[in-house]
Amino acid sequence: MTTEEFISELCGAAGMEFDGVFERGRKEGWLEAGDVLFKDRPIKRRDAARILHMYLLKVMKTEDLDINGAKELHDLYDCRICANHIAQVYLRGIMDAKDIKRGGGFLIFDPDGEDSDDANTDFIRRLISLTADR
Amino acid sequence: MTGPSPIDDKRLRFDNFGDNDLFSKKPRLPAMGWNSWNAFGSGNTEELTKAMIMKIKELELDKLGYTYVVLDDGCYRPGRVNGHLQADDVKFPSGFKAMADLVHTQGLKFGMYNDIGTKLCSGAEVGIYGFEKTDCEDYIKWEIDFIKVDNCYYMWDNATFANPENAKYSYAPNIKSIAVGGRIYDAAEAVITGTRASVKDGYVTSIGTFDGTAPDHSPSGLRSSELIFDVEAAEDGMEDMHVTYATGAEEGVGQWLQIAAEDNIIFDSLLPATGSPEDFETSQSIPVNLKKGINKIRIMNHRRQENTLHSYTEIRRELENAGDRDIVFSICEWGKTQPQNWGHKVGDSWRILNDITFQVGSDGDHGTASWESDYTTSITSQYNKAVIMDKYAGLGKGWNDPDMLVIGMNGIDMTMYLSHMAMWCMMNSPLMLGLDLRRVNKGDDIYNIISNKELIALDQDPLGVQAKRIFSTAGSSEPDKEYIRDNKRIDILAKPLANGDIALGFFNLDQVIRDDDISTDIDTILKALDNKAVSTDALKKAASFMVKDLITGVVYETPERTFNSGTLAACGCKVIRISPVT
Repeated sequence: MTTEEFISELCGAAGMEFDGVFERGRKEGWLEAGDVLFKDRPIKRRDAARILHMYLLKVMKTEDLDINGAKELHDLYDCRICANHIAQVYLRGIMDAKDIKRGGGFLIFDPDGEDSDDANTDFIRRLISLTADR
Repeated sequence: MTGPSPIDDKRLRFDNFGDNDLFSKKPRLPAMGWNSWNAFGSGNTEELTKAMIMKIKELELDKLGYTYVVLDDGCYRPGRVNGHLQADDVKFPSGFKAMADLVHTQGLKFGMYNDIGTKLCSGAEVGIYGFEKTDCEDYIKWEIDFIKVDNCYYMWDNATFANPENAKYSYAPNIKSIAVGGRIYDAAEAVITGTRASVKDGYVTSIGTFDGTAPDHSPSGLRSSELIFDVEAAEDGMEDMHVTYATGAEEGVGQWLQIAAEDNIIFDSLLPATGSPEDFETSQSIPVNLKKGINKIRIMNHRRQENTLHSYTEIRRELENAGDRDIVFSICEWGKTQPQNWGHKVGDSWRILNDITFQVGSDGDHGTASWESDYTTSITSQYNKAVIMDKYAGLGKGWNDPDMLVIGMNGIDMTMYLSHMAMWCMMNSPLMLGLDLRRVNKGDDIYNIISNKELIALDQDPLGVQAKRIFSTAGSSEPDKEYIRDNKRIDILAKPLANGDIALGFFNLDQVIRDDDISTDIDTILKALDNKAVSTDALKKAASFMVKDLITGVVYETPERTFNSGTLAACGCKVIRISPVT
């Protein structure tokens, strides 16, 4: 799924107009210039996490959680710029970790990885269902 | 991009890290200012920066020394335009030159950010690698006064977002033996320098440099390992040498080998890959010129440090074209390559660890920081490492940088803010405010902490000597060297000052009140400072001392030669300035 398709899915699920969303999202601070410039590229997990977290913060006005609970992700601190985004969507159950150890027990987020269309759609669905409960 | 550049300049070599010979460096005190990162993360904008500039002026923070306004990551268009950097047109619609002009018209100094890799940490595809000349020309045109240069997406190491397999450049292969002059020398029998390498199943592994990004390793002592063979030659002459090795591409085992005969490097390149890190092969012949007698053949890989120094040097060299414009060069490779060994050659400061917080703020959110954590993300994590790094810092060298201040962020209280400020000042750290200054008003608690002139005077003292830890209740026999991470303790730091005074700091790192009332005396302090005090004789012979508490402002004269901590609040501190009265 490209970044543009991801944002389009988010708009659809949230009942937002897709037209003009890039300009709107940038002004509101939940989209970055890279989302526009590289909108045709497949979306990476860290960018999905960022968009979803920033949407929560800037549009839904949700407060951040303490990120200590996300320390079980072994690669959390690999990314100075996305650690908080990852932690927030992980702790809220919006995006899952990956267990890379046979037998379980070694969780990573894999920020540079990509997800299937279905998985990305599911993340958006979880975000919307969380915010719908409020 | 086929591999790291050849290093033809001996000044960039590990053996010459101690020499300060690359650039004519201006002796300067730690930089002070405001950086956008902790306050706003990637969400900083022109509008917010203008608001910070106005607050710096309103609060008169510039008069206290906070003059640099630094735009951190997130300010660029994420792709180049005709090969040039450009501002993000939504966040900084007026562009960087206009921003610089605004900063300068306010009597402040303008700082920017880039990265030695191919991209910035944000992912913006504008890293300086390959564009050093172009970008530095633009920075000079924009009239920057400061640049912070990060280490993400670095090509020659397993840095953040870089290919983890880049570790192949950072470590030598596993070594089983060398063969030279018809004799085989087992690696397991050779000398290993430092503590990074070790013998495993008859071979030597981890020949390279500790990764200092995380708080796991001490910065003290030799941070890299070599494997040294004593090779005996019957007479002077060339010999063929073969190395039995196995390669990997992970932390501890790589593919890049350096060989030196004494101090002459005779091989510095990738070896052909083997099947696995335990699949040993014999190298092609490597000619070595031996002298009659014992020859020290050094098997090593210092490229982790040398490559990073080389990359920063490329930038610094271009910035030299700024002429009279004085640009502070802030190295931000997170302590990964032990920059305390080489940073002084090229930079004005060097970060010592990964970030102090990963939960930065945004407009309307102060972000969160911690007093204590098991990673780098706390005040004490940074302090615990920086406090034993005093010997690396100084005027003409540069400063250990335990990251930007987190004063004003959530998760820590005023006592912690104050101790944080006092620690950073005692340690001659750069003082980069990282909060939304719109929340600060003259006379409020945060203002009183960041504007404490007495503490700032310690940081900016012209003698430029970082405080030394002279005692810890943790019981260390070498408190200035031992890496102590258990925070249930009180430390005493002593700092000589240019006018002959001594600053003495008692820091309770424990999160409970401590009534130990520990003390130290003037003779112990002077001995620990090892003649670095300006007025040793005056201090020794003083009939009494004027003592000023730099936090309460209380001043008193005392004939006592012993100074006490008194009861210290949880995470609290006491900092005094001692002047001899003769």
